[in-house]
Formats: sequence, C-alpha cells, structure tokens
Amino acid sequence: MFLQLESLSKTFGSFRLEPFSLQVLQGEFFSLLGPSGCGKTTVLRLIGGFEWPTAGKVLLDGQDITALAPHKRNIHTVFQRYALFPHLNVFENVAFSLRLQKVAKHALQERVLRTLQLVQIEDLQHRRTPQLSGGQMQRVALARALINEPKVLLLDEPLSALDPELRMRMREELKALCKKVGSTFLFVTHDQEEALQLSDRMALMKDGKCLQIGTPKAIYEDPVDPFVARFIGPVNEIRCSIGDEQNGALLLVSELGNFKAKKNGVALPKEVTLVLRPEKMRLLRQRSSTQENLVEGEVQELSYLGSRTEYNVKTRQQTLKVFEQELERSKKRNLNVGDRIFLTWKPDDAILFAKECTT
Amino acid sequence: MKRKTVLGPATLFFLIWLLLLTAIPALLILAVSFLSRSPQGELLYEATLSNYARCFHWLYIRVLFKTLGLAGSATLTCLLVGFPVAYFLARSAGWLRQLGLILLFIPFWTNFILRVYGIVSLVGNHGLLNQLLLKSGLISEPLQILYTPIGVYLGLLYNYLPFVVVPIFSALEKFDNALREAAYDLGASRIQTFLRVVLPNIKEGVLIGSLFVFIPMLGEYVIPDLLGGAKQIYLGNLMVSQFFTAQDWPFGAAIAGLLSLFLILTILLQNKWQKTGVQHA
Repeated sequence: MFLQLESLSKTFGSFRLEPFSLQVLQGEFFSLLGPSGCGKTTVLRLIGGFEWPTAGKVLLDGQDITALAPHKRNIHTVFQRYALFPHLNVFENVAFSLRLQKVAKHALQERVLRTLQLVQIEDLQHRRTPQLSGGQMQRVALARALINEPKVLLLDEPLSALDPELRMRMREELKALCKKVGSTFLFVTHDQEEALQLSDRMALMKDGKCLQIGTPKAIYEDPVDPFVARFIGPVNEIRCSIGDEQNGALLLVSELGNFKAKKNGVALPKEVTLVLRPEKMRLLRQRSSTQENLVEGEVQELSYLGSRTEYNVKTRQQTLKVFEQELERSKKRNLNVGDRIFLTWKPDDAILFAKECTT
Repeated sequence: MKRKTVLGPATLFFLIWLLLLTAIPALLILAVSFLSRSPQGELLYEATLSNYARCFHWLYIRVLFKTLGLAGSATLTCLLVGFPVAYFLARSAGWLRQLGLILLFIPFWTNFILRVYGIVSLVGNHGLLNQLLLKSGLISEPLQILYTPIGVYLGLLYNYLPFVVVPIFSALEKFDNALREAAYDLGASRIQTFLRVVLPNIKEGVLIGSLFVFIPMLGEYVIPDLLGGAKQIYLGNLMVSQFFTAQDWPFGAAIAGLLSLFLILTILLQNKWQKTGVQHA
C-alpha cells in the first residue's frame, strides 16, 4: 500500500480525531469530504507533518514518516489560501525550494519553466504574486508544490476561494494534472459535488470520525447512514415500519401507503427510515395500476433548470423532492403548480436505515 | 453622487492644533536661524547665513557624529532587544499576550523625568547595581556608568524600547502563518524561513520601528542632560545650551533647522526605498 494511515488520532482542546485508518493508492485522487470541523484538515496536516498525532502512524511507501519534518516526507502541500510568498515573484515562488537546495542556475531555470508550463503560466513568471487573480495564484501554488515531484500532493480546499465558473474549470484541470504527474493527490473539501467529480475514492467524515470510504458512486448509491446519504446529495426521508417479508422483498408500512423495498442483508429494527434520491423517483401524470410504490400528491413548487426540472410534491404527510430529466422535448405534458400527480420508484432504489434516535 | 470633502470638527481641531503648536513655532525657529545676534545676545533683524556656516565647524560636526553614533547604536540595540519581545508577543495568545502588552506600557504611567531619575538611582555610584556588585565582591570600587556615554545609552535604550516593539509586533501579527508552514514544507529551516520569508515581509515594521526611535533619539535632550551630567554634548543639549546658556538663539535655531532637514531627507529616502522595494522585490 502506498500511503497508509494506521489508527491515526489527535486530540487538542475539545476536538478529537478518532483513530483513523486509511490506505491510498499510488496516483490515486483521494478526497476527504465533510462539514467544517469534521477533522479533514487535521488529517491532512498530520500527513503533511504540520501536526503530531496523539497516536498512530503514517506510512509512505512502507516507510514510517510519522516523526519526519514536513519537507523530509516527499509530500508537499497546496495551502487553502495558497500562502504564496508576497515578496517574491511567480518564478521565485516556484523556485523557492530549489534555491534552498542550491540547484545550479541552468537546471533551476529549466525545472521552474517546465513546472510553470505544466500548469500553463509560463508567461506570468515575472509577475508579483499579489497582482495575480485567484486562478493564477492557484496555479502558482500548484507549481510550487509540484516542482519537487512529490509522491503525495496535499490540497487543502484549494478551489474554495475561486469563483464558480473558474472552479469548474480548475476541477477538470486538477484531475488531469493528477493523472499527468502521477502523484497521489489528497484533496480536502466540504463540497460534495467537487468530491464526487474529482475523486477516484473518497472518505466522508463527521465530528472527527470517518463514516465511509469508497468510490463516489458507492457512497452516493449505498451510504452507510442517513448523515452520509444527506451530505452527499439531496434525499427524501419517509418513516416506515417493517411489516412483512416476501421472497426477498420487505413490505413497508408508512403513513403515505405501503411500499416494497429490496432486502439488503443488513439486520434492521422494526422502525426504519426509507431514503429516496429525488432523481430516482418518477412523476406519473395519471394513476397507474401496474406500479407498486405509488404515492399521490400535488405539485407545490417547480423549478425548471434546463436539463431537469425540480418539483416539490406535497403529499398527505410530507413534501417530497423529485427531479425529472427533460429527456425528450414536448413528449410529456407540462405540469403546473397545483396539478395532481403520482410518484413512484423502483424497490431497488430505496435505501433503508434504522430509525435515528437523535436529530 | 459626488461626495463633498468637508472637514470634520475633529480633523479641523487637529489641523488648528498642528498649525498653532507645530507649524508656526517651527517656522519661527527657521526664521530666527537667519537672523544675527548682538554681542549681548539680543536678536538683530539682519539676514545672514553665517549661523549655518558655523554649524560646519569640526567641533559641531564631531557632535553630530557622536550623536549619530549614539542614536544609531541605541536603535540597533533596541531592535536586537525589541525584536524577540515583539516576536514572543505576536506568537503568544490570549492572556499572555495581553499581560505582555500591559507590562510593556506600564512604565508610561510614570512621568518621563521620574523614569530617567529611576535609571540614575539604579546605575549611580551608590545605586542598586553598584551596591550589588560591591557586596558580591565582583568589583572593588563602583563602576562609573552615570555621567558617561554608557549611562546615556542605557537611558535611551530603556525609554525607547517599547516604540520599536509595537510596530514590529503589529507587522508580525499581520504576517500570515501559512507562509511559515509553506516555507517549512518546501524545505526551509527555521533560520532560512526567518531570513527568506518572515523578515522580507515585516521589513516595513522594522524600518518604521527604527525610525520611531532613531529620530527622537537624535534630538533627545533630557536623557543626555540627566544621565550624561551635561558632560556629554549631543545635538539635543547643544541646541538647548545655545538657546539658554550661550544666549545664541540664531545659532541654536540653525542647528535645529539642519537637524530637521536631515530628518526630513531620511524620511523621504525611506519612503522612496519602500516604494521601489515594492516594485522590484
């Protein structure tokens, strides 16, 4: 295993990072995702060498690097606000570590230019860093961290200071850059969309605990608990109790009606929460007798977003969100606020959790 | 909508204050420096440049260099002592920092003259320092610190130290700690981080702190007078003695004029250096 965290824990003040174990592959784009204060930045700082763990180990390529100073780890960091040296120009910022290593002038020149080309800012080399735009600073920070060809590049919310359009473009570039340089990218973010789009795999954290590690798809489709389900994307939650079991399917009883769900092998108590993703639900313009899992409702609100329309459907008990893809123009009847409709979903797409005691 | 530039009452008050108590007296002194003097010490309203010419006598040039040397070395020492203090304050947090800042300024609750006399009683021949050294047997007769350049130097150091600490402290406080981490991350040692990253980014604070103490030290009069025992002649007490002892107002004014010119040039030079520093750094 390439980068390995073994029961890494850290306590300071009232914060506690629970023993955290993780294995990251070479060249992998791995994200740590979670709300602020969940400990994701702490994990990054422990790997970077800016904090000492209370217990546990960090291994890189089989070597224990837990006690090594930041620069002896062959791991470099892109800081949240870039932390570019304001008194140096772009070239000197990128050349900083080479100057310390006393790299010969010619080789230094060549390596800096090559790295600047990698992030496409060779024409900015003489600019002073405070004059750069957010996106340009981002690139300088990347170049500065990449010039020593680190085995692992740590990125602490690097896109959060950019405007939305630029953020989208930088996401694609970051992902491409990771594959191009072959370093492992460890990326910290609170933006679930960013994590989904960029990661090969990701870990979702909350209150100093790692809740789930997996591919974006696994975490989105098979969240381990309601918090993960809610954090990674929009959900509808329906309180149900398990009524009966019928050849591998569970029969659920709720105030909205009786539903079927696939049994997923996890032992469940009687009281459960049925979690449904809005895009997995379908809107029917009229009642269908062949459909199971049918809920009647009324369109309360709708937002047309071009590629899809988001509906809030008021049912007897609660309001449910439904996203409908705008697949074929004018095939479907346009819906208006107040229209009576029916909701349905496949038993496979329902996610079941034990009913939460708190929150 | 165009915003009208109206002087607020506070600004107006400050401007009048500045005009009455700083600008007009300074201009009067400048005017006096071009006047002549009768042998009895009365001002004669005849314009002359001879007062300025007298300033360049070797006797006074020597006083200038002696003053520059004293103020320069005291400023350097202030920096050397003040920098670690500022660094400690900026890196500490909460009550420790509050306490440090309070301790730094507590001496100012005591009158300036009293503080200088405090030094006298500390380093005098029968002062605390000499008593301790004599009792411990390290010396057999008291060290003559009072009424020597060393005494003046100690007095300057003691009184001006806080003024160098504050600008450096505020520069360090504004310094982004992520830059320090970035430097470590890129392989810089603590010393390299300090020299290559911290210092270039707080040099303005250091410069302002130095000027804050250097400029008033050049014109300092009370400290050389009390701790130097009027034996040590520096620019400050030279001027005062011309006004009050020698009754030579025009000459005293000329020295003051030249000193002001020197200080103004220093400040202009510093401003220019700062601006070019920003462009080419």
